[in-house]
Amino acid sequence: MGNLGRGTGARRPAFMVMAVIGWLGAAAAAAGTLDGRQALPDLDGLAPEAQGLAIFEEKDRRESGYQDLQVELEMVLRDRRGSEARRELSISQLEMADDGDRLLVVFDTPKPIRGTALLSYSHVEGPDDQWLYLPAQARVKKIASRNKSGPFLSSEFAYEDLALQEVEKYDYRLLGREACGDAQCLRIERIPRDEFSGYSRQEVLLHEPTLRIERIDFYDRHGRPLKVLTNEGYLLHEERYWKPQRMFMENLQTGKTTELLWREYRFATGLQADRDFSTNSLMRAR
Amino acid sequence: MTRLRLPARLAAAFCWVGFTVAAAVAQAAAPAVGPAAPPAAAPAAAPAAAPETGADRQLVFGSFRSADNARGWAGELGERFDRPFHVERVRRRDGDWYRVRSGPLTETEHAALAARAAAAGLDVWTVRGTLERPDGVTASTPAVAADAPPAAMPAPRSAAVAQPATPPPAGSPPPRARIQPAPAPPAGAEVYADVDLGLQTRTYAERGSAGQSRFQPSVSARLEYSRTWDDGRSGFTFTPFLRVDAEDDERTHADLRELFWSRVGDDWELHVGARQVFWGVTEFNHLVDIVNQTDFVENIDGEDKLGQPMVQVSLVRDWGIVDLYALTGFRERTFPGEDGRLRGLPPVDADAAVYASGAGRHRVDGAVRWSHHAGPFSFGIHHFSGTGRDPRYLPSLVDGEPVLIPEYHVIDQTGFDGQALFGDWAWKLEALSRSGDGPRYEAFTAGFERTLVGAFGSRGDLGIVVEYMYDERDEAAYNTLFEHDVALGARWQANDLAGTTALFGVIWDVDTEEYVLSLEASRQLGASWEAVLEGRVFGGAPPLDAGAPLAFDGEVKSRALQDDDFIQIELTRYF
Repeated sequence: MGNLGRGTGARRPAFMVMAVIGWLGAAAAAAGTLDGRQALPDLDGLAPEAQGLAIFEEKDRRESGYQDLQVELEMVLRDRRGSEARRELSISQLEMADDGDRLLVVFDTPKPIRGTALLSYSHVEGPDDQWLYLPAQARVKKIASRNKSGPFLSSEFAYEDLALQEVEKYDYRLLGREACGDAQCLRIERIPRDEFSGYSRQEVLLHEPTLRIERIDFYDRHGRPLKVLTNEGYLLHEERYWKPQRMFMENLQTGKTTELLWREYRFATGLQADRDFSTNSLMRAR
Repeated sequence: MTRLRLPARLAAAFCWVGFTVAAAVAQAAAPAVGPAAPPAAAPAAAPAAAPETGADRQLVFGSFRSADNARGWAGELGERFDRPFHVERVRRRDGDWYRVRSGPLTETEHAALAARAAAAGLDVWTVRGTLERPDGVTASTPAVAADAPPAAMPAPRSAAVAQPATPPPAGSPPPRARIQPAPAPPAGAEVYADVDLGLQTRTYAERGSAGQSRFQPSVSARLEYSRTWDDGRSGFTFTPFLRVDAEDDERTHADLRELFWSRVGDDWELHVGARQVFWGVTEFNHLVDIVNQTDFVENIDGEDKLGQPMVQVSLVRDWGIVDLYALTGFRERTFPGEDGRLRGLPPVDADAAVYASGAGRHRVDGAVRWSHHAGPFSFGIHHFSGTGRDPRYLPSLVDGEPVLIPEYHVIDQTGFDGQALFGDWAWKLEALSRSGDGPRYEAFTAGFERTLVGAFGSRGDLGIVVEYMYDERDEAAYNTLFEHDVALGARWQANDLAGTTALFGVIWDVDTEEYVLSLEASRQLGASWEAVLEGRVFGGAPPLDAGAPLAFDGEVKSRALQDDDFIQIELTRYF
């Protein structure tokens, strides 16, 4: 999904080559048009695993440099019987120079949990740091980020689906190319490296000209199809960042669905690490 | 569930030195009206559509203080009308405005669009002539939940028909589109007001030992108002609370949970006024939490707190966060009255409170806390110097009736709270050393919480909590029931649409064999209702003898609660 994020962050030596390619690409992009459509790096002669990694490195590069962003999210949860529940969240995200990104999620509705907030520091290596703020008790609680396979706010999205998606957290393999709509898509398999992930693997369909995620098929730990995510209504922001307006997740095993509606993206609004992403800021994020 | 303190009775008078100050400051720092304009919009790359012949007029769909909101509205209009909309910046004496307009239109196009706008219930107005290049792009921004521009701006009725021939004079504020009601996003909102009303019934297993009623209904109201300005750097928060209890006069009470003004710098914060501050990590006992006084009539679990007037400075550094507190104005603990339940025997007469310090309740207390995290560890170290929040209870006679009188002491407390997270395990410790109310003593609460994600193959999470509470004073520990107690808890989070959670716990005193069973469960009913079920059972203590002297018994502290087993149901409506 990477919609909530991606990371820049420290790269390992093995990725140095990609970093150089990325830099060249950035230079080319700066010279050319910034419409979010750029040529992929040369994948010839690479193994499918390296191709998959190179593509996600490129995607990561294109999505970096945003400094910070804020967005409003509405979730619509539906079960098989048609019962419906809505949640509204405000999300802020900050790009860090020498570590993974920081994320602040504030719950606006349902009203009983309004003001509850989640702060997450993602790290390129090691588990993320996460804090939960419980307004009824004015209590900040550090929580285990290992619970990543659990549902996020009772939705069909797991914490790991929405967490900041550092490139290094998966192994990749390019499976092939296929037509999708008017364009060509890349089908890439990615396997979570984290043993606590709820998935054995994912198949990601990327729109080749823009590297937007069109669809992800999730497979459970037993390798059975579990969920399908489709992203729609992509809009180009700041002439650089493609963001979907609608994400739709369907659980194939339970029939439950969750729709995410993204609104009012704002970029580079001047958020700061200490002021807006400390445990102090959790308490005033209402 | 948490700390059961010795039941007793309430002190009413709110004598808040800090409040008048806070209120005055909040008034003085009168917030600017209207959203602050965010950083300038991205460089314009939008090609201004070349006006075709005859395209000499435009429709304006609204003006905003915020470029983001203008662009958001332009995006939404773009989707709704399937055509591009532009945002231009208009400079006025009162600052910059961002105007959303259609781009040049021919007479036919103009009429068609104006008609569609009217059909959609939008107030629009027409300008003639070509305008300078638009200051921003358009339909690349998704639909927006736009905050409405300042209400002072008049919206011309059906201006599309009236058609002013020229833009309005520079002195008058630009008209605006009537934005369709949309929930304003609170993170970006300048003002938020929230009201909730609660209906609560407590049902006890039997009548009280002094003949109190088995049923105790009450209603409560809570308002939360907050506003920020100066790009979120200044803020004001006001949270009054009121409960009216049908049985217990002392439980009918009001409190300013919060009333404070804040200023936020890049790496510091300043708060002036009444706030809520929580310290600690454990679940069953909030041992080190000392800044706010417990609102004991609300709940005996020690998690409801009275607003504490303070000046707080918070410094964010690479090596952690340092909080400095000047606590101005002591809050006396609330206690159930004669007709209330879950109280001491005899009841506590809070109005008769006495102070060991000559300064009494007017003493200014001080506290400092350093907190930090590194890898799996997080911790806080604090020192508090001032009037202790837990009183001693002095048996006495008031008007010939036996009562307990609360006596507050000046104490010094140094404490630690820390947590280590390893996988699904959270290890927790709270410890303190306190002097001033008797010989110096040490106490701690330690334990762990283990979370099982997707327990029993379900969607739910099960948390297992085990804690041990120790206080070296043993029977002499007048301010806690927990001197050598083991607590076991199970927290169930169903992860269903209604957000159902349940917490079951048992605390057992390994020496005296007293125990407390507790249950708390909550569930949302639709988008704006919540139901909370709470229950407690007290046992293990020998029953009161009818003729026995009414006195504090350090060995069996929960004796007074043995008849107070109860079930509580609370329905809350959020507005």
